[in-house]
Amino acid sequence: MSREIHAKCFPSHCTRGGGRRQKQRCEGEAKSSVSVPRGTCMTMCPAYELRQRELQNRLHRFEVLTGTEHDRLPRADVSCTVKEYSRPAAGKDSTRATDLRPPDILLKTVYYLVDDIAASSTLHPWTEVYSFVFDRLRSVRQDMIIQRISGPECVAVLERTVRFLLFASYRLCGQPLRLFDSCINDTHLQECLSWLLECYREGQHQHQEEFQALSLLYNLGSAQAVQHVLELPGSVRLSPPVRLALAIGRAYVERNPVRLLRLARRLDFLQGCALHRHLLPCRRDLLLLYSHGHSSRNCRFPIQKLADILSLESSLTAQLCRAHGIHVGGEWVIFSKGSFTESLSEELQCAQMHRLLEDKQQDLTVSDIIHGVA
Amino acid sequence: KQGCPVLNWHGIQNWHGTSLSSPEDKCQQVLEPPYDEMVAAHLRCTYAVANHDFVEAYKCQTVVVQYPSLGGTFQAHKEENWALPVMFAVTLDLRIFANNAEQQLLKKGKGKVGDMLEKAAEQLMSCFRVCASDNRAGIDDSKKWGMLFLVNQLFKIYFKINKLHLCKPLIRAIDSSNLKDDYSMAQRVTYKYYVGRKAMFDSDFKLAEDYLSFSFQHSHRSCQRNKRLILIYLLPVKMLLGHMPTNQLLRKYDLLQFADVTKAVSEGNLLLLNEALTKHETFFIRCGIFLILEKLKIITYRNLFKKVYHLLKTHQLPLDAFLVALKMMQVEEVDIDEVQCILANLIYMGHIKGYISHQHQKLVVSKQNPFPPLSSVS
Repeated sequence: MSREIHAKCFPSHCTRGGGRRQKQRCEGEAKSSVSVPRGTCMTMCPAYELRQRELQNRLHRFEVLTGTEHDRLPRADVSCTVKEYSRPAAGKDSTRATDLRPPDILLKTVYYLVDDIAASSTLHPWTEVYSFVFDRLRSVRQDMIIQRISGPECVAVLERTVRFLLFASYRLCGQPLRLFDSCINDTHLQECLSWLLECYREGQHQHQEEFQALSLLYNLGSAQAVQHVLELPGSVRLSPPVRLALAIGRAYVERNPVRLLRLARRLDFLQGCALHRHLLPCRRDLLLLYSHGHSSRNCRFPIQKLADILSLESSLTAQLCRAHGIHVGGEWVIFSKGSFTESLSEELQCAQMHRLLEDKQQDLTVSDIIHGVA
Repeated sequence: KQGCPVLNWHGIQNWHGTSLSSPEDKCQQVLEPPYDEMVAAHLRCTYAVANHDFVEAYKCQTVVVQYPSLGGTFQAHKEENWALPVMFAVTLDLRIFANNAEQQLLKKGKGKVGDMLEKAAEQLMSCFRVCASDNRAGIDDSKKWGMLFLVNQLFKIYFKINKLHLCKPLIRAIDSSNLKDDYSMAQRVTYKYYVGRKAMFDSDFKLAEDYLSFSFQHSHRSCQRNKRLILIYLLPVKMLLGHMPTNQLLRKYDLLQFADVTKAVSEGNLLLLNEALTKHETFFIRCGIFLILEKLKIITYRNLFKKVYHLLKTHQLPLDAFLVALKMMQVEEVDIDEVQCILANLIYMGHIKGYISHQHQKLVVSKQNPFPPLSSVS
């Protein structure tokens, strides 16, 4: 045991004399250049995997060659088959060069997934589209990790992945758990964001401001996220998207939902997607604060005004109030601190309150959204 | 048996600085295993330090620390804890070398922040477990006396790598220990400092005040630097609870950055507060208290609105008056709706006793004590 520790910890320049030194140095250098795998697979799916999945009838329906769907063993369409994610396992060698895709192929794969699958107007339902793209993007990231890829392709891949996952968190909001798991989406989104922000530490990146802002909005309330941004260079910190995101964060910390919702109207579509899961809790908070601040039997508050500051239609506003025990009478509500209830009503879902975002989406195509509108 | 290795340790002191050809052989001649390898590694380490190669020093030190942590050596000291000072010394060095090694790597553009420190933390945790699991020895010989020192080292690492959640199990372990009030004051002061800072991070300000105050009061009079460090965190907490520091205190500890902030908050001067926060932004951000100081805005609103109340001398205050006050403070883009929200929040938090009438556009406050003292509001 001691000899092994010795060899590991005391490289050449600490050892005088002995042929050991020469050998150790050579081993050290050789190790660093050979041990990182370099992919040579020039297609979206390695040939080996394609044959295997074809033979085992494990092709996804998006990967099947048209006309062979009803065969006993459908054939793979090479231009549509994409390497799937597979869990690392003992005895499984995931470092074979022929199974790994180099950076430029990975980026091409991502473009295919976005333009031909996620943005497709013919593939339905979108929950299935999401599952496919989610899995294949995960495999792209896996190839990047094994090959320790960093640099512009890595950043380009991660940026699109983050945009896709953010868009999905809004688009599939309210879907049943078996079709869309927002927790899993969130976990992967956070991983990609962390990795991307880590990449941004070095060099110049065109979209850095966009993503620092998205990270702040998605992680509303996180002191860590804000502290990270505060330590960034001035040019990024003072850029418009980051300033707006910080202002929204401040409004949250100061517990001023009126200001928060007003500032949120200035966000673009993707920023809105990032913030959207925090909107319903913010609206609830406003009703809580007003229940205490306006608590008086003799006072009434106009529903239309409430609807304006909540950025909701008045019918939904009335519904939301009733769900929280706030008395609604015609065009007025009566706030009372005693009657406010926290209960999360089953009927009221975030998905019903997406109007604000729908308006922002307007003419944007899915492709625009994920590749980033200039 | 106990004295031997330590004596030989001193003997080896005079080998430091001489050229090292093969320390293992020399050590084997004088010491029993495993001390021979431990000391040999220590010598290689000092050689590396002399050459300013902290990456190498760190690697060597991990070998040294293996002996206390893997339990082979130390755990074998069944009912003895004489080696604790040795363990303290080597673990402290481990952390310091890890820190220096990381700095060196970062300068060369290699390595990721926190990697080496995390590994060092793992080794320290092993040492901690060896100490914590010593249930056999009597109090005087127990290795449990090593626990607080190690916990403090681990706190320093976790704060540096920003993984505060890892502090929780350590805090639980110390709090449930029957030795917790008997450790040296120096160790307890350090411990409470970090636990106080963690409480701040968790927004538990009353708890943070308790711990940081203890730390401040029991710090040795001569440790000016430490007291200043504690104050940097204690001041914002106290201010949030309504206690403003005197300028005398701030001058004594060279913390005049807080002077304008204090003045702004007590006067309800939002404009001055924003200016003060911007002026000393870099300092506050570096210390990690910028975000907490921003929370003082709510107290500042309260103080400002209290002034409005005193000026108008009525219990039915027009909302417009507050809007005017905010606009005078150059608060950007504020309108009557936001004023209502700020007031609603102050009422909710208990800073104002009253209610808002939207129809009459007035804030109606209680005739008795409408602005309760800050210290009475949690």
